[in-house]
Amino acid sequence: MIQMIINTLASAAIVAPAAVAFTLVFTLFRYANFAVGGFVTIGAFAAWTFNVPLGLPLWVSGIGAMIFCAFAFAASDRLVFRALRGRSGGTLLLVSIALSFVLENILRFIYGAQLKSFDLPLTGPIVISGIRITRETMAVVSVSLLAILAVGAILVFTPLGRALRAVADNPSLANVRGLPVPRVETFGIAIAGAMLGLSGTLVGVDLAIDPNLNWAVTIPIIAAAIVGGLGSPIGAAAGAILIGAAEELTVAFLSPTYKGAVGFAVIALVLILRPQGLLGDKVDRK
Amino acid sequence: MTLLLLKDLRAGYGASDIVHGVNLELVPGEMVALVGPNGAGKSTLLKSIAGVANVTAGTLELDGKNLIPLQPSGRAQAGAVFMPQERNVFRTLSVSENLAVSAWGHRDIAARRDEVATLLPTIRDYMHKRAGGLSGGQRQMVGLGMALMARPRVLLVDEPTAGLSPLLVGEMLDTLRQLAASANLGILIVEQNARAALQRADRALVLVDGRVVREGPAAALADEPDFGALFFGHAA
Repeated sequence: MIQMIINTLASAAIVAPAAVAFTLVFTLFRYANFAVGGFVTIGAFAAWTFNVPLGLPLWVSGIGAMIFCAFAFAASDRLVFRALRGRSGGTLLLVSIALSFVLENILRFIYGAQLKSFDLPLTGPIVISGIRITRETMAVVSVSLLAILAVGAILVFTPLGRALRAVADNPSLANVRGLPVPRVETFGIAIAGAMLGLSGTLVGVDLAIDPNLNWAVTIPIIAAAIVGGLGSPIGAAAGAILIGAAEELTVAFLSPTYKGAVGFAVIALVLILRPQGLLGDKVDRK
Repeated sequence: MTLLLLKDLRAGYGASDIVHGVNLELVPGEMVALVGPNGAGKSTLLKSIAGVANVTAGTLELDGKNLIPLQPSGRAQAGAVFMPQERNVFRTLSVSENLAVSAWGHRDIAARRDEVATLLPTIRDYMHKRAGGLSGGQRQMVGLGMALMARPRVLLVDEPTAGLSPLLVGEMLDTLRQLAASANLGILIVEQNARAALQRADRALVLVDGRVVREGPAAALADEPDFGALFFGHAA
């Protein structure tokens, strides 16, 4: 049981930062950006590039990946989504799916299809009363938790975070109140991009890095954000834990084959039983 | 000394003008009411000053500075602050956060918040509540407080009493009247309760079909025998 909780937290820790990013973009612009998995994969490859070919320590590579993804995500908004502001959520969702395929194939073109992994020292798991936990798992869970708390603190305690929440709530009022709306939106996108880069680094610690990661992580990320309640970063983290637990239970009691279907099943259940998610507010559709 | 100057101002949405050549001079401490029938262009005139509707021709100056090239955020920073009729608070933020975010770019947020709480003392009672959970009257008061956080030179108030009880209508209009005097603000107000607004305003403009058809001291206008016809747009 405790082993299952640890596995759940490890799986949730990878998905949670990206789910926070997804919900940030949704709250700001009211559309579901399915390219989040593509940017997580970019984050994984960026961290690998810093770590293996350039020989930098993994924590420096992770920070590098976060910065790279912040710029890449902001660039995608500038080049792709900004021109489409005001279009329906459905249109933007389709565009984001197309972007995701483009990103995946750019990565395949640059890095090839061979599996890659970080340059990490081989260490055995720590065993306490029969419970096995690796140092990597502890690091992944701690870093993820710290990052989510940091984003929460930025949103609640800093002027820019308050401005971000105000713009997400009512952009036209924010405009007449004197807030620099485009600058605040770019700040939100950059935070989201950094969180995607972090998820990419964390996923690379746990799994092999290849362009196919994209769709493997997209559904759990979106499921976590929907389950937690779109618009709530804390809800997204809670949603990631729930999705992680559901996946672990599926592996333990059904078959690993069904793990990929868990996200879809949970999304369907939440939409039927509690459309606003665990901690989310009801939001206006665009 | 003229604070806000409108000369032959034309404004609207897209290609069509709704306001056709309005002239107005507003001085500090003066409250001017815009009255007229529905669709007369009163709210559009306020929105064009705030930058929410397009100015297509004419002059629009605040303290001698041309406002037309500025975005709504720039006009607010310049001192022309708009209080919309609806959705005028950030519902997911607390009242305190609503006030703080409305003083964007200023370091003295605590001092400004105290200043607003002194001017609108009831706000203290719900300072830490979420704005979305407040009553209509409380929300209007918070909306007004948010506008004041920017220390405006001109306050553009669009139907501040919409949806309020008759008792609160008087309170809100009295508050605006006092603010104009105590903070030396210029206030331009669009108000559905025309008589109540005229009782408090210094001057009034009657707008019909986007044109000023009558203007003068508010009290005198309210006493005119054809006031009802003016308000409903049958006289010019």
